Amino acid sequence: MRRRDFLRLAWGCLLAAALPRPARASHPRDKRFPFVFAQVRYRGGDWNPHPLCVGPLMEELMLRTSVEASPVRHEVTLADPDLFEYPFLYMAGRYEFEPFTEGEIETLRRFLSYGGFLLVDDALGQRGYGFDKSVRREFQRVFPGNELKRLPSGHAVLRSYYLMRRIGGVRIANPALEGITVGSATPVIYCQNDLGGAWERDQLGKWTNVCTPGGEEQRRDAFHLGINIILYAMTENYKEDLIHVPFIRRRLTR
Amino acid sequence: MADLYLIPPVPWWVAASIGALAAFLLVLQYRALRERLGPRRSALLTLLRGLVYGLLVFFLLGPAWVERRVVKLRRPLALLIDSSQSMALPADAPGTPPKSRLDAVKDALLPLLERLVRDYDLRLFRFGDGLEPVTPAAVRSLGARDGRTRLVEALEAAAKEVPAQSGILVFSDGIANGERAAADGAPPLPLPVFSVTVGRPQAYTDLRIAEVRAPEFGFRGREIKLDVIVEAYGLRGRKLPLYFNRGRNLVSAQSVDIDADPFEKRISLSFTPKEIGAHHFNVSLPVQPGEQIAHNNRKEFAVDVQRDKIRVLTLSGSPAWNYRFLRMALKQDPLVDLVSFVFLRTPTDSVDVPDSQLSLIPFPIDDIFLEELKNFDVVILDDFSHRAYFNPVYLEKLRDFVRDGGGLAVFGGARAFDSGGYGESALKEVLPVELDGKGTYRGRTSVRAVLTPAGKAHPITRLVADARANEETWSRLPQLTAFNRVQRARGETLLALSGDGSDGQPLLTVGRFGQGRTLALMSDEAWRWNFIAVGNRETPQHHLKFVRQAVRWLAREPSFEQVKILPVAASRPGEKAAITVRVLKDDFTPAAQASVQLRVLGPDGDPLLVPVSPGDSPGDYRGEFTPAREGSYRVEAEAALAGRTLGRDRSAFSVAAGYHESEDGRPRPELLERISRSSRGEHFTIEQWNEKALEKIAARLEGQAPSRIVERRQTRLWSTPWIFSLALVLLAAEWWTRRKWGLV
Repeated sequence: MRRRDFLRLAWGCLLAAALPRPARASHPRDKRFPFVFAQVRYRGGDWNPHPLCVGPLMEELMLRTSVEASPVRHEVTLADPDLFEYPFLYMAGRYEFEPFTEGEIETLRRFLSYGGFLLVDDALGQRGYGFDKSVRREFQRVFPGNELKRLPSGHAVLRSYYLMRRIGGVRIANPALEGITVGSATPVIYCQNDLGGAWERDQLGKWTNVCTPGGEEQRRDAFHLGINIILYAMTENYKEDLIHVPFIRRRLTR
Repeated sequence: MADLYLIPPVPWWVAASIGALAAFLLVLQYRALRERLGPRRSALLTLLRGLVYGLLVFFLLGPAWVERRVVKLRRPLALLIDSSQSMALPADAPGTPPKSRLDAVKDALLPLLERLVRDYDLRLFRFGDGLEPVTPAAVRSLGARDGRTRLVEALEAAAKEVPAQSGILVFSDGIANGERAAADGAPPLPLPVFSVTVGRPQAYTDLRIAEVRAPEFGFRGREIKLDVIVEAYGLRGRKLPLYFNRGRNLVSAQSVDIDADPFEKRISLSFTPKEIGAHHFNVSLPVQPGEQIAHNNRKEFAVDVQRDKIRVLTLSGSPAWNYRFLRMALKQDPLVDLVSFVFLRTPTDSVDVPDSQLSLIPFPIDDIFLEELKNFDVVILDDFSHRAYFNPVYLEKLRDFVRDGGGLAVFGGARAFDSGGYGESALKEVLPVELDGKGTYRGRTSVRAVLTPAGKAHPITRLVADARANEETWSRLPQLTAFNRVQRARGETLLALSGDGSDGQPLLTVGRFGQGRTLALMSDEAWRWNFIAVGNRETPQHHLKFVRQAVRWLAREPSFEQVKILPVAASRPGEKAAITVRVLKDDFTPAAQASVQLRVLGPDGDPLLVPVSPGDSPGDYRGEFTPAREGSYRVEAEAALAGRTLGRDRSAFSVAAGYHESEDGRPRPELLERISRSSRGEHFTIEQWNEKALEKIAARLEGQAPSRIVERRQTRLWSTPWIFSLALVLLAAEWWTRRKWGLV
C-alpha cells in the first residue's frame, strides 16, 4: 500500500469513528422502498472495499429516475434465509476470497436463474489476480460452461436509461462490461473498473477516490452506469422492446 | 371305362415269398399223391390246389378295378349390380332417350340372365352402402337408392362369398366413394373380375366444386388462404364466375376460364378475418344448362377464427420488482403479445444530460388512448397513477374500452386505487372495488391471500387442479408485504381476502363492466409469489400461472367464458340436433337457476327461438332443433341470473344430406378396368355386353380352371363275391375228388 493510500485510509477510519455511523448496518428491509441495494458479505478477501459508496448512488438514482430506493444498503450473505427478499445484489472486492460452499453455489444459481440480479465490481482491476481470479473461479462453478463474456456495445444495460458509449469507474481497467447471459437476460454483470470507488464520498461529502484518466466525466459515467444497471435489473431488456428501438437508434446515430 | 390295377396291401416280396412257398407245397403234394394215385390223378388234384393258392397270391397283390368318368361342373359366379344413387343418372349424353344407368344395366343384363342362371351357380348381389343378396326375379325392380358406393369393399366381400375357381361379374358406373375409393395398394382380388361399365365419361356434363382446401382454424387479422378445386366436364369454352361468400356477403369473385375437357383447376382465395369465432363461408359456381348434378356447384365450409395473441398493454408507474416479474410472466407466455411502458422518470426528476443522451421515449399517449387502445385485449395499470401524466379524458377512453369488451387489471401500490386518485376518476365505476378516496396504501404489513368460496372455484385462482390442493397451495404462497386498503369489494366476485395482518380486507376481486372484465389486486408485491417462493425452494409457477390465467380471463378466452355452447354434432335435414349450453355463475360454479335464451339462425338468417330445459348436469341447459334444409346454422345463447347477464356465446353447426354419392356423377370406367386387369378378368362396356361377352367370360374362366373333371372309381376285387365263390368251388371240387378217389 502506498503511503498516500495508507494516510487516506487512516484519516477515513478516524472520521468514521468520530462521526455517527452511516446507515450501512444490516437491518430488516424497509418496505416503503421498492428498491434496496443489497451487498453480499462473503468470507475472506475484502467484501466491503467502499463502505460509503451506496448513499451517493442512491441519491443519484432517486434524483434522476422514478425509482424509489432505500438510501441505505442492506448486507446479506448467500446463506441468509431472506436473500431472495433482495432481487438486486452487489458484490465487490479487491482480493481473493474463500470459495463458496456448495449450498451457496446452489442458492446463487437458483437466485440468478429465476429472476435475481448480481452486479460484481472489482475494486482492484487486475485480470487474473485477487478478486477477479476468485470471481471467475466461482462463476465457473455457478454456471459451468457459461463463463463471463464481454457484453456487446448494444446490450440493453447500456441503454436502459442513459445511452452509454463508454463506461466509467475509478480506473478503466476494462473498457467493456462482462456478463453471464441466461436465456434472454443477463443476470450477472461484471465491471472491473471499481465502480464503487467512483461512487464513494466520504463523511464530509468529498469524493474518496480520484477517477483516472477521465476525471469527473469518468465518475459521471460510473454513476450513469450504476443507474443503468439498476434499471436493467428492474426492467430486464425492456429497452429492447420494438417500440423503443427506432427512438434509440435515431438518437444513437445523431 | 375300367382298368385292372394291382394295389398290394403287403410288400411285393411278401407276396412273392408266399407264392414260392405255395409252389413248394404243391410240389410236395404232387410227389406224395403220385405214389398213391398215379401221375394224372395227382396232377389234377395238385392243379385244383394250385388254383386256390394262385387265387390267394392274386389277392395278396391287391387287384382292383379302376373306373374313370368325365364330369362337367356348374361353376359358381358372383353377379354384382351397382344400386347406388349415381346409377339413377342418365346413362348417356343429354338429348338421347332418357334412360338411367341402372335401366341400361337391366336392359342389357335381363336377356342373358336366364343363361347365366343355367350355366353357372349364380350368386346375385346388389351393392352400394354394402353387399346384399338378391334373387334373379328382383333384378327387374332394383332401384338406385344407396347413398354411397363402396365398390372396392363390395368386390372384396363378394370374393369371400364364392369359392375358388369362380369369378365375379360386376355391373357399375365405376364410381367408388367408400372408405377405399381406389384399389391402389390393395392386393389383387383372388378371383377374376369381369366388369361391365355403364355410362360414357365423354357424354357427362357437370360443373362442380370438387374440393375446398381450407384450414380448420385461422387467426384474427391474419390472412387465411384456401384453395378451391374446380372440375368441369362437357363445358369447354365457357367462362364462369366463382363466388366466394361469407354467409350472404360476397368476399370476392373470380373468373374461371374452362379451356379443356375434362377441366380441373386449383383457384386460390384469401380472406382476412376481423372477428373471433366460427366463420361460415361458401364458394359457388352458377348452374349451367345440361348439368347432370346441380348441387355440387356449391360447397360450404367453416373456419374457426381465434385470437392469434392476447395483446396486453401494461403501464407501470415506476421500475419495480412487480413489473420485472410481471413482465417475465407475460414474456414467457407464447399467447401474449406485450407492449409495456414503465415511467422511468417523473416530471420532478432532473437529469444531468441532454434528452438526446437518454433512452427515454415520449409516452405516445394520444396514439395509445385515442388510436391504439381498441387493438389491445387487456390493459394492466401496475402501480400507476394517471395524475402526473395525463388528462382524465384518457381514463374515460379506458372506461369505454372496458365497456366495449376490453379487460382491465389494476395492481396496487402507492399510486394505485385511492392513493392514485382513482376514486374521482372515470374508472371509479369500472373497478370491482369501491373507492371513497379514503383508502390507504400500507407499506409495512404482511398479508397472506386467503381464498373465498368463489376464489376456490374461479379459474383465475385455480393454480392446481385439485380443489383441496389448490387451497393448500394458496396458503403456502409467500406473504405480501404491501397492501392497498379499499372500502370494500363492489358486490362483485371477491376471490381472495387478505389474511393475517389486515382483518380480511379484499385482496383480489374480479368484476364485469359492460361487456368487459376487470380485476383488482390490492398489492404491488405479487412478485413475491414468484421469487420468494423460489427462495423457499418452491416453484415460481404459481405466480406465472396466476398471471396467465388472469390475462386469459380478462381477454375472455373461450375456456374462461361463463356461457358456453357445447359442440353441436353435424346433422341431416329432418334429424334432431341437440344443443347444450353450459352456464356458470360469476364464481364459476354451475348456474342451476339461470334463464337461458337460445336462438338458431338458419342458412337464410331467419332466427328461431329454441326452448331449453335443464340438462343432465347442473348448469347445463338443453334445447332441440330440427333443421329443415341443408346449410350452415348459427347458434346464439345468452344466459342471465337474477336479471344480470352472465354472458353470451355463439357457435355453429352444419346440416348436410350426405352427398357422397351424387357429389361426383362422372362414370369412372378406369377403376373397374384396372381391377379387371389386375385380377386377370376382363372389362366390357355395357354396349359390348352380349352373348359373345358371355362366351369370352366362360372361355377365360375355363382357361384358368377347367370345368370338366375326371371322376375315378376304384373297386377292390377281394370284396367281389364271385371270386370268393370260385375259391370255394375249387376247394370243394378238390375235396369231392379226393373223397371219390378214397383219399378222405
